[in-house]
Amino acid sequence: MSVPAVKHDVRRGAGLIGPLATATALLLMIAVPFVVGGYWLRILTNIYMYAVIAQGLNVIVGFAGYHAFGNAVFFGIGAYTAGVAITLGAPVWMAFILAVLVSVVAAAALGWPLLRLKGHYFAIATVALNMAMIDLIINIGGVTGGAQGLPLPLESLSPTDLNRLIYFLMLGAMVASVLIVLWLDTAPLGYALRALRDSEIGAEVMGIDTTLAKTLAWTISAAMTGGVGGIWGYWINFIEPGSAFDINLSVNGYVMMLVGGMGTVIGPVIGAFFLEIFSTIIWGQFIKIHLLILGLLIIAVVMLMPEGLLFYAQRLIRPRRRTP
Amino acid sequence: MLGQTIINGLLLGGLYAISAIGFSMVWGVMGIINMAHGSLIMVGAYVSYFAFSSLGIDPFLSLPLSMALLFVFGYGIQRILLNRLMRTSLLLSLVLTFGLDLVLANIAQLIFSADLRSVNTFYTSCSFAVGPLLIPYVRLAVFLLALVLAGGFYAFLNRTKAGQAILATALDKETARLMGIDPLQVYALTAGAGAALAGAAGSLASMLFPISPSMGLSFIGSVFVITVLGGIGSIEGAVLAGLVYGLIQSFAASLFGVNYQEIVAFVIFLVILVLRPQGLLGKRFYGEAA
Repeated sequence: MSVPAVKHDVRRGAGLIGPLATATALLLMIAVPFVVGGYWLRILTNIYMYAVIAQGLNVIVGFAGYHAFGNAVFFGIGAYTAGVAITLGAPVWMAFILAVLVSVVAAAALGWPLLRLKGHYFAIATVALNMAMIDLIINIGGVTGGAQGLPLPLESLSPTDLNRLIYFLMLGAMVASVLIVLWLDTAPLGYALRALRDSEIGAEVMGIDTTLAKTLAWTISAAMTGGVGGIWGYWINFIEPGSAFDINLSVNGYVMMLVGGMGTVIGPVIGAFFLEIFSTIIWGQFIKIHLLILGLLIIAVVMLMPEGLLFYAQRLIRPRRRTP
Repeated sequence: MLGQTIINGLLLGGLYAISAIGFSMVWGVMGIINMAHGSLIMVGAYVSYFAFSSLGIDPFLSLPLSMALLFVFGYGIQRILLNRLMRTSLLLSLVLTFGLDLVLANIAQLIFSADLRSVNTFYTSCSFAVGPLLIPYVRLAVFLLALVLAGGFYAFLNRTKAGQAILATALDKETARLMGIDPLQVYALTAGAGAALAGAAGSLASMLFPISPSMGLSFIGSVFVITVLGGIGSIEGAVLAGLVYGLIQSFAASLFGVNYQEIVAFVIFLVILVLRPQGLLGKRFYGEAA
C-alpha cells in the first residue's frame, strides 16, 4: 500500500501542468451544459455523482483502511432526508443541508459500534447495515412512503433548467469532495488516518486518538455520500428503498476508487469517468451481460492492476521513480 | 403453535448450517470472505433443478453431482485466481469474489432467465403429524442430510490426512510448510470443499425454496451472520449457530412478521460483533491471520 507516497511525486513533478489542466477541465465542465443536450448532460451528472461516492469511499477506505462496502447506506439516508424534508415543505437548499447533517449524525452514531470491528467484519457489517435500512424504510412507511416509494412534489423549473441546476449541483459536490480530500491529504487528520491504516496499534502508540480519527473519517465520507444522495433524490423526484440503498452504488463507487487509485486525491474521479464512459459506450450494446462484464472487469482490475490507473499511468511517465 | 415454530426453525436451521459451513471454513483457513458463496449455492440449486426438470433425476440423487461439479469449480478458481492474491491484501479477495458473484448470477440469468423455478417432486408437499405438530418429509430429510454432511465434513477434517493438513495450515501456515504441507494445495482443497458444501446446500435448498439467479443474495447475509455467530472456521459452531439462527428467524417471523427477519438478524449480528466477536464456539486465533 505505497500509493500515497507515489501521489506526492505526481504533484511535485506536474508543476504548472496540474493546475492548468485542472482549470481547463473545470472551465470545460462549466461550459458543457450550454453546449450539449440532455443525454450527455445526464451522463456527466451521473459521473460527477459517482465521483463523489467514490471520493467518499476513498476517505474511509483509501485513507483510513476501513473497507466500507455498504457506504451507499448514506446515499439512501441523504436521499430520504432530503426527500422527506422537501415533501414536508422545506426549501430545497435546506433539504440538502439536512441530508448532509443527518448522514453525518448517522455515521457518528453508527461509527461507534461499527468502527470497533476490524477488516472483514467492518466491511460486511456495513453491507448488512445497508440491507437492514431497506427493510427499515419499508417497514416504517409513514412519511418515507415505505415500499411504495416517496414521490416528491413537482418542481416548477423547466426540465432544461432543472437538469442544468442538478448538473451544477453535482459538479459543485464533486469539486467540494476533491477539495476536501486535497485538504485531508496534508492535514494532520490525513496523516493520522494513514498511520492507523498501516498499523492501528502503531498509531495509538504515537498518540493518535484512533477512535476519533476513524469516526471523523467516516463522518466526512458520509457527508459526501449523503450530500449527493440528497441531490439525487431531488433530481430523480421519486425515491424508493431499492434504488436509494442500491448496493450497486457502493460496488460501482468501490470499483471506480480501485480503478482510479485509492488513497490518491484525483484517482476516484478518474475512475468514475473511466468506468461510466466505458459503461455508457460499451455496455449499452450488451444490456443482458452488463453484470457479467462488470464482474469480469472487477476481477481483471484486482488481478492485473490492484494499485489503480493513476499508479500505472505514473509508472509509464516516470518509470525510474517507482519503488517496487 | 410454539412447538410448530420451534420445529420449523430447527428444520430450516439444518439447511442454514450446511450453507454456512463451507463459507466459515474458507474464511477460517484462508481469511477469504467468499462473497460468491451465495452464488455457489445458487449454482448447486440450478444443477439439481436442471437434473430434475430435464433428466428426471431426483434432487436427493443429484446432490453428489452438484457437490462434485462445485468442488472442481472452487478448486479451479482458487488455483487460477485466488491463490495469486493470497500474498497481497486479503480484502482484494473480497472484491474479487464479489466480481465472481456478479458473473455467476449473470450467467445463470442468461441460461435459465430470471424466472422463479421450483423442484416439485411427488413427495414435496407430503408431511406427517406428531401429535399437534406437522412435519414435512422433505424438510426433515433435508435437515437430517445436512447434519450428516456436516458430520462427514467434521470427520474429514479431523480423521483424514488432507483434513489435518487443512487444520494445520489454518493454525500456522509457516509451520505447516515446514511439515511438508503445500499451503497453496491446501487452499485449493479448502476452496473446493467449501464450494462442494455450497453445492450440497444449493441442492437441498432447491427442494425448499424458489430458485432464481439472485437467490444467492438472500443466502449470503444469513451465511455471514451464522458464521460470525458460530465462530469463524468452527464446524460445530456453524451447526449450532445455524440451528439458533433458524429458530430466531422462525420466531421473528411469527412474532413480528416475515418483513422483520432481516432487521432482527442484523441486530443480532451487531450485538454479537460488539459483545463476543469470536462467536459462540470460536477460538480466537481463527480467521485473525487476515
